Amino acid sequence: MKAPPFEYHRPSSLDEALGLLAELDEAKILAGGQSLLPLMSLRLGRPEHVVDIGDLGILDSLVVEPDGSVRVGALVTHRQVETSAEVAAHAPLLHAAAPMIGHRPIRTRGTVCGSIAHADPAAEMPAVALACNAAITAVSSRAAREIAAADFFEGYLQTVIEPDEIVTRVQFGPWPRHRRGAVVEQSRRSGDYAIIGLACWLDIEDNTITDAALSFFGVSDTPIRVAEAEDVLRGQAPTQSTFSAAGRTAAGVLRPTSDIHASANYRRHLAAVLTERGLAKATAESGETR
Amino acid sequence: MRLVGQSVKRVEDDRLLRGTGRYVADVNPPGVLHAVFVRSTFAHARIVSIDAAAAGRSPGVVRIYTGAEINAMSYPMLPMLMLPDLYTPLVKALSDDKVRMVGDPVAVVLANSRAEAEDAAELVEVEYDPLDAVPDIATGLRSDSAQLWEKADGNVLYDHADTFGEVDAVFASADRVITERFSSHRQSNQPIETRGTVIEVDPVTGHLTVHGATQTSHMLRWGIAAYAGKRRIRESLKSLATKKERRAAFLTAAKKFTTDNADALKQSDNAGAAHQIKRDKSTLLHMNRMGLELLGQEDFPTVVAQDIGGGFGAKGAVAREDIALATAAIDLGRSVKWIEDRIENLTDGGHAREEDIEISIAVDDDGTMRGMKVDLVIDHGAYPAWPIGASLASAIMKVMFPGAYRFEAFSMRSRLVATNKGKYVAYRGPWANETWARERIIDVVARELRMSPAEIRLKNMYGPEDMPAAMLTGPTLDETMSTRATLERAIELIDRDELASLKADAEANGRRLGLGLACYHEAAPGPPNYNDAISPGSGALSNETARTVVESDGSIIAYTSQMPHGQSHETTYAQVVADEMGVGIDDVKLVWGNTDKTPFSALGTGGSRGGPLGGGAIKYASREVRRLVAEKAASMLEASVDDIEIVDGNIHVAGVPSRGLTYGEVAGAVATLDGEAFSHNQDYRGKGDGGWSCATHVCMVDIDLETGTVQIPRYFVVEDCGPIINPAIVDGQVRGGVAQGIGAVLYESAVFDTEANPQTTTYMDYLMPSATEIPEIEVHHLETLSPGGENDFRGVGEGGMIGAPAAITNAIEHALAPLGAKVTDQYLPPTKILELAGIIDPDRSSGSS
Repeated sequence: MKAPPFEYHRPSSLDEALGLLAELDEAKILAGGQSLLPLMSLRLGRPEHVVDIGDLGILDSLVVEPDGSVRVGALVTHRQVETSAEVAAHAPLLHAAAPMIGHRPIRTRGTVCGSIAHADPAAEMPAVALACNAAITAVSSRAAREIAAADFFEGYLQTVIEPDEIVTRVQFGPWPRHRRGAVVEQSRRSGDYAIIGLACWLDIEDNTITDAALSFFGVSDTPIRVAEAEDVLRGQAPTQSTFSAAGRTAAGVLRPTSDIHASANYRRHLAAVLTERGLAKATAESGETR
Repeated sequence: MRLVGQSVKRVEDDRLLRGTGRYVADVNPPGVLHAVFVRSTFAHARIVSIDAAAAGRSPGVVRIYTGAEINAMSYPMLPMLMLPDLYTPLVKALSDDKVRMVGDPVAVVLANSRAEAEDAAELVEVEYDPLDAVPDIATGLRSDSAQLWEKADGNVLYDHADTFGEVDAVFASADRVITERFSSHRQSNQPIETRGTVIEVDPVTGHLTVHGATQTSHMLRWGIAAYAGKRRIRESLKSLATKKERRAAFLTAAKKFTTDNADALKQSDNAGAAHQIKRDKSTLLHMNRMGLELLGQEDFPTVVAQDIGGGFGAKGAVAREDIALATAAIDLGRSVKWIEDRIENLTDGGHAREEDIEISIAVDDDGTMRGMKVDLVIDHGAYPAWPIGASLASAIMKVMFPGAYRFEAFSMRSRLVATNKGKYVAYRGPWANETWARERIIDVVARELRMSPAEIRLKNMYGPEDMPAAMLTGPTLDETMSTRATLERAIELIDRDELASLKADAEANGRRLGLGLACYHEAAPGPPNYNDAISPGSGALSNETARTVVESDGSIIAYTSQMPHGQSHETTYAQVVADEMGVGIDDVKLVWGNTDKTPFSALGTGGSRGGPLGGGAIKYASREVRRLVAEKAASMLEASVDDIEIVDGNIHVAGVPSRGLTYGEVAGAVATLDGEAFSHNQDYRGKGDGGWSCATHVCMVDIDLETGTVQIPRYFVVEDCGPIINPAIVDGQVRGGVAQGIGAVLYESAVFDTEANPQTTTYMDYLMPSATEIPEIEVHHLETLSPGGENDFRGVGEGGMIGAPAAITNAIEHALAPLGAKVTDQYLPPTKILELAGIIDPDRSSGSS
């Protein structure tokens, strides 16, 4: 389990990093290394060049903007997000998802942006980004662009990021006062990738759901929002029966596959269960904290 | 204060927890070459050609050996256990004509670094001509399935039936017969440290030192001496003719073995060997040639094993890789090192337990269980494990199947089926599925007769008033077969009121609660006729020898042929020796794992032998040395030897401790040439009777009907392994075994697809339970003494794993039975739980049900 030969680069500025990416073929960016390095050791990933962005201090900021949006730099770890009171207050879904990722040693190395850029469909962070339609900033020596999470994920471990681009940050928009959210998942063991998970929120005004997001992970080749089930919720009162109806719709729409950890039927069933549990948790927790 | 019976802290912990243990991966002889095996990517294929030219030019590569090259310099591995009707294929170190599993080694790359060897291994081009794969038992039993072994009968390597008592008459006269078919899935022994071997070649003498992670150092030594580095027969004969001393020493040892084991050997019959040789005549030829080789060899390898990170049976074998490595090292005259990676380990480090079991019970309406019929089929995998694997497991299962119950008749058919998967090895409690299937069907019988699981067990179980007795299958039972006492104690420990209220609460909240129990006894080590029941004459291998020494400076060293790999021998043996010698635990040093220093044992550590046999040998060796020391001290103190006491290392006449001597003073008074003032070698093969360990496991499960998640709010074990050397260590053994049982039922499954491609080759897919998945496990002890008295230690290493799968699956069926569930599979992941509960439909495509 040794990685095949590769050339290691550790640029000291963003410009230098972007220059390397522009000129090198088959380069991969190394941040926390929690997905890339195991893939390389298993010889499933074979980059010829590894560009370690660990020295780019400019990417390590975790900032709450004056408007309440939360900006997460490319080197910010899951553990930083998990332990930040500010993130808890301003990006509660991000905060709720962090402790579900792997185990603590993994969270102290793995990064939020790295997880989103890696785009494992069973991972928590891509689904949270999608639920919140976070804005992902990608920079190259050519240009900088901002990509909505809804447009970001293309397939299994596939995103719209070009080989010469670096994801420098992800920005979660202001969390509305009347929004209630939760992340729930079912995994075989604590710390495992989810068999199926859900990042969800409801906007509730005058006991009516005005908007909703149901962002599932582990059931498709990307994180996936189920618009049909969100539609079921809008305009309804936040009750158990509303949640159940949305869950039934989600289970009917989703087309998960079977693998050695769970059958497709199990995942479909759990889609309904998690919808009910996730929305109940979102509304219950808000009652306690606000 | 006596140390035996106390929870003395483990003396090995300081070293291991500080990271200063020395494992095989830490061994790096100068100039060592790193080995990586080129392994088959096909489950079943002919090897057309191997082209290693490009790989040979890869940086750092020193040599690449193909299978044909290695096999020309080594012998195939021969069967150790030959049972009537068993054909055991001879196994070459590397495959050279055909591969029979994904991961089958076909070449070995030796390079200056591990990374370079891995790079080159990718460049070795092997052309395969694929054959149909045999992915499971059902395919293997079909007469038209592709045949793995040409000399076998299809893919069935063993088909044998035994009958005890009047089975037909009992089944005809019983009120009813209840039949069920159970299926257990493939699991893997997963030590935290994978396998690994370093063959160190002395550049001057050519002597081999084998650093291994092995449960059985002497077996590894003999295996390598026998199979690796084949020499020309003429050379062997010449050596044999000229080296008179070597020949004499060998023959003396052989004569001692046959004399010492006369009784056991008298039992042995030749039916197994006759069957094997009939199937494969080359067995005899290779045996004779190898015998000559062993006789002619002047220099046997030394095996050195130090710290080992677990084994659970997977390291009780000599690996094909070991033979290839030693052969290459001898040929190159260079040291070589192989540390198995986790993918290799999960593919072929050792699998077990994949078995289909049909079982029928003849029972009267009052709950009297009268007869049992079993039809067992074991998925053997591609290659036989050496020296023991599926064949031994089937033989033990046959002996133990009736359990602690008074059956009138029993019959069993056993088949081994070759499939294109990893080898079936002994895994902690290798026979455990007899307990699982038996205890499962007893619950089925109880439900049908509207009796409670405890009631039907108590009605049919042997009790102390029945002793001595004998199992239908042969082994004698005495009071140490105390299973009923463990069950009676367990029943007292169940709080029925609490259970009822928890059950009601669960049902009100979309959950179901269930309680399951399981009872067993195991040979730990069992009476002598237990070995004969398994395979006549096999008791000849059971001897353990220990050596206790007082050096001339007074230090006390005990030598054991046991191979600690997590069992805490360093602590428990020091407790035993310290008590015998009248010293503190820190005054005793234990030496193990170096075949130049430690006495011979054929089997090493396994089979619950460490406490009773290894412990007995070391106890009596120490007792004799204490006697020798006391005699010397008596003469120095001008006293009678009977008046000598040794307390806290003070050797004195009773009543006058102020005028005592130290071990150093007494030893110093003895003139020695070799530095050993007193020493004694002690052979020990058990007390001659009893030797049963017993337990009842009780498991409570709490099942979430929405997610299929199984929680275990309470698990307790009432165990009886006789007098306990160290209660904390016994608790640890029991809990570790239960954890593996929980893993077996809820998490671990070695999965293959329909083409026999392994699907679980990393820890992302082969799910080991971690601390968060294992509940608190209560352990309650009974300490039944045998009628014979002295040295009543009994083994406890395997039991946790034996009882747990039955207790957990019984609990799950108890919880889900009101929903119509019947548990016949051992593996019950959340998907299966919801299918059993009727909440989701089985998935047609998943093939998991």
